[in-house]
Amino acid sequence: MADPFSNEPIRVDHLPQLHAAAFVSVDPRYVWGRLAGLAATTVVVIAVVVVIIVQSDDVVAPVAVGGGIVLVLVLAAVVSILESRRLAYQLREHDVSLRGGVIEHRVETIPFSRIQHVSVGRGLIERWLGLATLEVSSAGPDISVPGLSVADADRIKQVVAERAGVADVADVADVADAPDEGPPGESQVAMPLSPPPWPAP
Amino acid sequence: MAGAVIDLTEPRRQSPLAIVLLGLRAVRSLGIVQITLALFFIVRGAADGRLVLVGLVVVAGFAGISLLSWWRYTFQLVDGELVVTKGVFRTDRLTVGVGRIQSIAIEQELLHRLTGLVKVVVDTAGSAQAEFTIDAVERSVAEELRRRATVAGATTATMVTSDETTTNGAVATTERIVFQHTPGRLAVAALTMSPWAGIALLVPLIAVADQVLEPFGEQLSDVAPDVDVDSFGWWIVPAAVVAATVFVTLLNLGRIFLADWQLTLRTDDDTLRRTSGLLSLTSTTSSVDRMQVLTSRQNPLQHRVGLRDVQLSNAGAGDMRLIGCSDGEFATAATLVGLAPLGELPLDRRIHPAEVWLDVRNTALLAAVAAGAGSLLVGSWALAAFVVVPAVWWATRRRVRNSRWSLGPEFATSSRVISSSTRQAVLRKTNAVRVTQTIFERRRGLATVEMVTAAGIVTVGMVPIEDANAVRDVILHVVETDGRAWM
Repeated sequence: MADPFSNEPIRVDHLPQLHAAAFVSVDPRYVWGRLAGLAATTVVVIAVVVVIIVQSDDVVAPVAVGGGIVLVLVLAAVVSILESRRLAYQLREHDVSLRGGVIEHRVETIPFSRIQHVSVGRGLIERWLGLATLEVSSAGPDISVPGLSVADADRIKQVVAERAGVADVADVADVADAPDEGPPGESQVAMPLSPPPWPAP
Repeated sequence: MAGAVIDLTEPRRQSPLAIVLLGLRAVRSLGIVQITLALFFIVRGAADGRLVLVGLVVVAGFAGISLLSWWRYTFQLVDGELVVTKGVFRTDRLTVGVGRIQSIAIEQELLHRLTGLVKVVVDTAGSAQAEFTIDAVERSVAEELRRRATVAGATTATMVTSDETTTNGAVATTERIVFQHTPGRLAVAALTMSPWAGIALLVPLIAVADQVLEPFGEQLSDVAPDVDVDSFGWWIVPAAVVAATVFVTLLNLGRIFLADWQLTLRTDDDTLRRTSGLLSLTSTTSSVDRMQVLTSRQNPLQHRVGLRDVQLSNAGAGDMRLIGCSDGEFATAATLVGLAPLGELPLDRRIHPAEVWLDVRNTALLAAVAAGAGSLLVGSWALAAFVVVPAVWWATRRRVRNSRWSLGPEFATSSRVISSSTRQAVLRKTNAVRVTQTIFERRRGLATVEMVTAAGIVTVGMVPIEDANAVRDVILHVVETDGRAWM
């Protein structure tokens, strides 16, 4: 049977909008991961400066260069904190969005129908913090949502894979047997994902 | 009359000519400069017998590896998948669903033309480069491969059903010529595009010039003794510029004739096929649905003669460059890929003039830094760096005045400083939408919106944030409600 034809005008302000309030911030532990990486770099820089000073008689040049690098790292830490606070995602019925950027604010949206595959990855620091990164790939751009608790990353991955009609790629680490998940209940507190904003399948 | 049935289900090898082509490719991978120097040393007698022996061993090694590469390379069609097996020391098996092939280009380089064979370049989405190449194969096999891919792609993409089928069950298609450029049109196209494009022909020569000419340096200085530059008048500079322009224009003419001879666009409504070439024939095919972005450029000379350069961007490596198109040909190409001809686009939205202030401010800051650094070297002459500021002001002001965009069934932008350019893409082919705001834009309530497709981005900046969000919402609404094929 043919579908009844309709051609009603559509008002732009009646279209579903990407509401800023509906964005969900990433886990607060994510910022500690960023800072830990920068701290490790700072320690290495200071160690190199100390070694150079010990090996040579010159003190001013290594300290000046090392101090400059540390200053840059401190600035990077400030930017990381601000960026982590701004980093947020939003799942809707038909798309996934990522908000980020400090100097340049950025909101990127990929419709589920354009997603090629989805996966969850966990780096060393993320494993330590009990976090994971969701990777969503399309034929155009890819988006990464870092700072998700492992359980939430897995749930989002399943939902995105189902809605996109794609198989989820084998994870870098199997989230099911991840031993370093945070304390019970912490994930639910940090990631207000329940109840999900879409109807049950 | 139907030709003999070609069975692609059994593993096929390439023509033995592929051994030569594989060998040449391996030699080329050594580097043109290195090969030129090696040959130069051998010819000059600088090499002793052992080096020649090493050279012969290397050549024999390349020949052996080429032979093995040819022997180990097979391709076949199995259950709708193109399976390529290759590798000398390890076996690589590539499997590509025929329906996922983005484009199949059939090319004929000089060696191919002498032997009546063709090269097949197969491209899928997901990488900027071609997935794999069949170096030398009979044209009938290549055409059959392309036909299978085209039918599978068109069927997958558009769910076309037709009663008109061949005995294989494939949709019978009738290709027609959309346009074909005459030599006269190509000459006009070459003469009206930037003449400096011809320099591209000289790049390989420039790359090896230093190494090759170095041993001749002393001899050249003997042949051309010191020249008294004072004997030249002021006219030498414009004369040299004119001579260089004429030279590169002629080079460009040669380049265009070689690459775009008999440039032809064909279609059977589901697919587009571009063929061209004088010594090396190139044939690129892509389904219409897989064309994502249409770009056109027109400089003032081209504007005077009513021609423009057009590019159809494919999701993979199957882009089609159509130079010297008339307005009618451009409109036809646009219509074929589901876009509106340029004249029918409203293009009624402008961008904010704050863009002028942003560009001028940034340029002035850079000029100040350059002048500050340059003053240490050239003193007050460093202030000349500020000359660029009014030039940027003029160019940006002109670009902002002439920039337009519109949102309908497609997202389209156009701009003009000296040359004009347009960019169009159908909304349903969007892969992602980005809305960004720099600090400058945030302070003024402006934003940039990017519609990202699998083959490029259509961007408009310096628009009100409300408009940018509305554009995003409209694009997402179309993508999420339009079930038609997008690739």
